[in-house]
Amino acid sequence: MRIEAFRLGVVCRGETLWDGLDFSFESGAVSVVVGPPSSGKSLLLGILRGERKPDAGDVLVSGESLYRGSGAAARAFRASCGYVPERQEEEDRLVVGDLFRRSALACGGISGRERKDREVSLLEMVGLPGGAKWSLPSLSVSERSRAYLAAELLRGPKVLFADGVVAAAGAPHREKLAGLFRALAREGNTIVLAERLIPERWAAAAEEAIPSGPFRVFRLPVPRQGSGAAPAVSPRAEDRGVDGGSA
Amino acid sequence: MNGKVSLYWIDWRMKGRSMAVSSLTRFVFYTLLGFAFLLLLLSGGARRFLASRYSVTALLRASVSQGEAEGLARKVAAMPPVSSAVFRDPEAAWKEFLEAYPGLESIRTTGGNPLPGYIEVRFRYDHLTAGDVNLVVSALRNVPSVDKVLSGEDSFPGILRSAAFADALSWCVFGAFFAAFLLVCWHQERARAIAMEKDFAFLAERGVSPARMAASRAAGAWFAGLFLSAAGIAGAGAALFFLLQRFHVLGSFIGPPEDLLLPATAVTASVFPLCAALLAASTSLLGWRAARSGRK
Repeated sequence: MRIEAFRLGVVCRGETLWDGLDFSFESGAVSVVVGPPSSGKSLLLGILRGERKPDAGDVLVSGESLYRGSGAAARAFRASCGYVPERQEEEDRLVVGDLFRRSALACGGISGRERKDREVSLLEMVGLPGGAKWSLPSLSVSERSRAYLAAELLRGPKVLFADGVVAAAGAPHREKLAGLFRALAREGNTIVLAERLIPERWAAAAEEAIPSGPFRVFRLPVPRQGSGAAPAVSPRAEDRGVDGGSA
Repeated sequence: MNGKVSLYWIDWRMKGRSMAVSSLTRFVFYTLLGFAFLLLLLSGGARRFLASRYSVTALLRASVSQGEAEGLARKVAAMPPVSSAVFRDPEAAWKEFLEAYPGLESIRTTGGNPLPGYIEVRFRYDHLTAGDVNLVVSALRNVPSVDKVLSGEDSFPGILRSAAFADALSWCVFGAFFAAFLLVCWHQERARAIAMEKDFAFLAERGVSPARMAASRAAGAWFAGLFLSAAGIAGAGAALFFLLQRFHVLGSFIGPPEDLLLPATAVTASVFPLCAALLAASTSLLGWRAARSGRK
């Protein structure tokens, strides 16, 4: 699913935050949008997801306008997206398993057993094995962001927007997440990450950054299928019989 | 359901404990309401009791033979408003008189049995109206073998008015009870919709339209309301059947237990779960709307 943004402009508190920005996010790619604090990274992800109409420009998803097209098409796009916000709202009474339950409701088509199975494997993938019954307030920032990420992956989103997840996850989990994102991209998904800084190793491996306004967009290399680089992550990929491997 | 998670049961998925408590509360209320509904349905307010007490007496002329009197009683019993018409011969009338007024045996010694035979007419409780009573009384008065018809014409309209008032009052009390129950339901739904605000926001962000969420929740509430109220009224019916069988005295107020099994009763009783389900869906929608408008 290709996402293109043309001449994007945003006015914030009466001032132009940025204007005339172009972006292109390909399917099967991991893109990292890097920008300083208060540069509007979360805002940009909101615009790309169809949540917030830009003050100028447009977003096209597979050639169709997200804001000038039909509402149903925009909703269908949002339904195919996963989104991990930078700040998760305080939901004191929830446990990690509730995030999966809620995520399953969003696509309305996952049976209880399938959800449980995928919950276990996804939590292991993000480094939270057996964490389904942990309460959210007891989790660290890193654990919480990874739990939210795992819950989003339950639905097998075609497009994943993750805001500050790499920074929140912390150094010990960065490479694990990098492997996970590459595996998702290898299955044909579009991965868009927004970060203040990109880890050095990622920057070194990435193609040359494309500057756009206050942002720089890095594209991480994604190993081709059969190179044994990553496991199958999304249920769609498993259904298609995409080959797995080790991260 | 095919093992799939449906938005119908979103409240159960995300607020299972709260739903279990509210469902249990509602089941208890539905059972109580169902009991009251069946009670009012079968008793017809005060009419069943009134019908068991009120009768029209047709005093027969002395010249009427027993066969003729019994034939007349059969004809009267066949009239639609009449539940029973029983002929009592002069001897039976005399015995009843002595039971009611003991010590007056001396009246008979002077000139034989002074009491005539009579037909006692009782009415079906659902036909105990001034019109139906007048119909039977007029018919009896036109029969040559009937000497007098005693129907309490002076006091009967007043009694009927009181019965109608009691009937209306009973239904009003039932309606007030039901309205209070709906208010409780509405508050429960509103509180739950507010508590689930983040879940709804999450789903809306992921392409689930608010209208679909509201409609799915209302449909779930409809199903749950139908099931709980049907179970409630079935339980209430079973309890009432048991009570009527065990305490026969209740029969004159409420009716025989067999009346609960009549198709007409079952059909009317089925209105209860249908209405309850409709109202459960409505309170779900109203609660959702109130929660959203309160948030804005």
